[in-house]
Amino acid sequence: MKLTIKAEGLGWRILRNVVLVLGIIIILGPLYLVLVNSFKTMPEAGRNFFALPQSLNFNNYAELLSKGEYWGYVWNTTYITFFSILLVVLINPTVSYAIARNSHKTYYKIIYFYLLLGLFVPFQVIMLPLTKIMTGIQLLNPFGLIILYGALSLTRGVFLLVNYIQQMPAEIEEAARIDGCSTFQIYYSIILRLIAPMLVTLVIMDALWFWNDFMLPLLLLNKAKEFWTLPLFQYNFKTEYSFNYTMAFTSYLMAMLPIILVYAFGQKHIIAGLTEGAVKG
Amino acid sequence: MNKKIVFSWDRLTYFLFSLPAVILYSFFFVYAVIVGINYSFTDWNGISKSYNYIGFDNYLSLFKNPNFWQSLEVTGKYALMLVIGVMALSLILALSLNSLKRFKTFTKSVYFLPAMISAVTLSLIWDQMFYRIAPKIGEALNIAALSQSPLASPKYALIAIVLVNIWQAVALPTLIFIAGLQSVPDELYESARIDGASTFKRFRFITMPFLVPTITVNMVLAIKAGVTSFDYAYTLTGGGPIKASNLIGIMIYNDAFQNMKFAMANAESVVLFVIIAVLSFVQIWLSRKGGVNGK
Repeated sequence: MKLTIKAEGLGWRILRNVVLVLGIIIILGPLYLVLVNSFKTMPEAGRNFFALPQSLNFNNYAELLSKGEYWGYVWNTTYITFFSILLVVLINPTVSYAIARNSHKTYYKIIYFYLLLGLFVPFQVIMLPLTKIMTGIQLLNPFGLIILYGALSLTRGVFLLVNYIQQMPAEIEEAARIDGCSTFQIYYSIILRLIAPMLVTLVIMDALWFWNDFMLPLLLLNKAKEFWTLPLFQYNFKTEYSFNYTMAFTSYLMAMLPIILVYAFGQKHIIAGLTEGAVKG
Repeated sequence: MNKKIVFSWDRLTYFLFSLPAVILYSFFFVYAVIVGINYSFTDWNGISKSYNYIGFDNYLSLFKNPNFWQSLEVTGKYALMLVIGVMALSLILALSLNSLKRFKTFTKSVYFLPAMISAVTLSLIWDQMFYRIAPKIGEALNIAALSQSPLASPKYALIAIVLVNIWQAVALPTLIFIAGLQSVPDELYESARIDGASTFKRFRFITMPFLVPTITVNMVLAIKAGVTSFDYAYTLTGGGPIKASNLIGIMIYNDAFQNMKFAMANAESVVLFVIIAVLSFVQIWLSRKGGVNGK
């Protein structure tokens, strides 16, 4: 360790610290401006955009929250994310386990490659037909969106989980099988536990996608205001608050707040999970 | 006898395990792709009750359409700028963060924060930043180009959108690079140092070979993200001004839902499909050539 510090040299360390501090300013700067200006009145923000607010003025927050719509959008985003994740956790490990433990059989070989083909298809290819299909079966609603997220989660999920299960030793399963456990019992009481780390990774990646997704909600839910998610609310309100920009900042902050709170408490797991998923992918 | 029954039950369980995934994927993914390709051979506007099959007419008129080529050019530029920006910055940041001794966890979590926020909210925040801060900088430094938000200028809009995209997209590649850097055995550095190799030489001949697989991963992710990008440009400019940021993703969306050229939009997305498929095969070919790990 001592060797490293000596050899890296002072110049490099100064340069590195300058780069890192500059980066932090560029990242936190805009978020700081959003925060401080959300507490200002319009004239105050006009006078001094960069300073801290003279007093904590919660009028913008009161106005935004009193409309009641905000909570509706938070609720929509929450339950769509929650049930989509539930579907992801129900359908991804089961099919991955079946493929991983039957990889010598033709049917499972075929469905494995079939599910992985999705890696080659950009979302734009399916988005137009999907809107027509979903209109046709009357699923332009959160339920339809949840089903779609489940279906679209499969390519990545199967890719990550099959590799993971195949690297696990099969001895425990064989022992359980000799003891008379059925496949379902083995899956439920052994496999699910063993694959938990990779499943957590998958859940984090997918939850972040569902929570922040703009494209699919735009296609499926935009026509019905009662179904809007937080990104849709943000997009549709960009004109409403174009004059009252401190109010706009308040709404940005409130839209980011839930995910930033989650990040503040679980950042270690989130960072580890996303790295794991990306490196393996 | 008893054993045989148990055996078949297990086979049935496996089959039932695979069924929900296969059904959902077949209907909402594979069937959708087929329907989309099918639409691309029609003249459907997306609303009328009937349509005709017109063969490859959409594709032929697409290749004659200067707007389509312009959009591909914009998309190419965008992807190129995104890839260069993301790769260079994330490599620099990974090298810097990896050698950090103090405040490492805090710094890492700040750098990862942008990845948490939705692209729409981010874009709206940056829209305000460009609108309120760019003129002030322009005034202070007397730069005419910054007298207005760069998003309003056909010349700078695309660059401004890429910057916002980079601001968010650097986070994950940085972490992937850090993971790659940590795979380099320390002994290699030490023996190189004993042999008197310079910092640059150590980077070039020790670090780089270990980073090759992660470079491939990051590059492919960035290229795909650039070519299919939608959220940032759609929120920031909607493709404008004067089509300056008319990415292919935006052209597809607008043709399908605003311009009543639904079938044509499907043809455009099939062309995008071919581009992505080619890129993916190049990726597989490149990653077979591998680095140290041969991953």
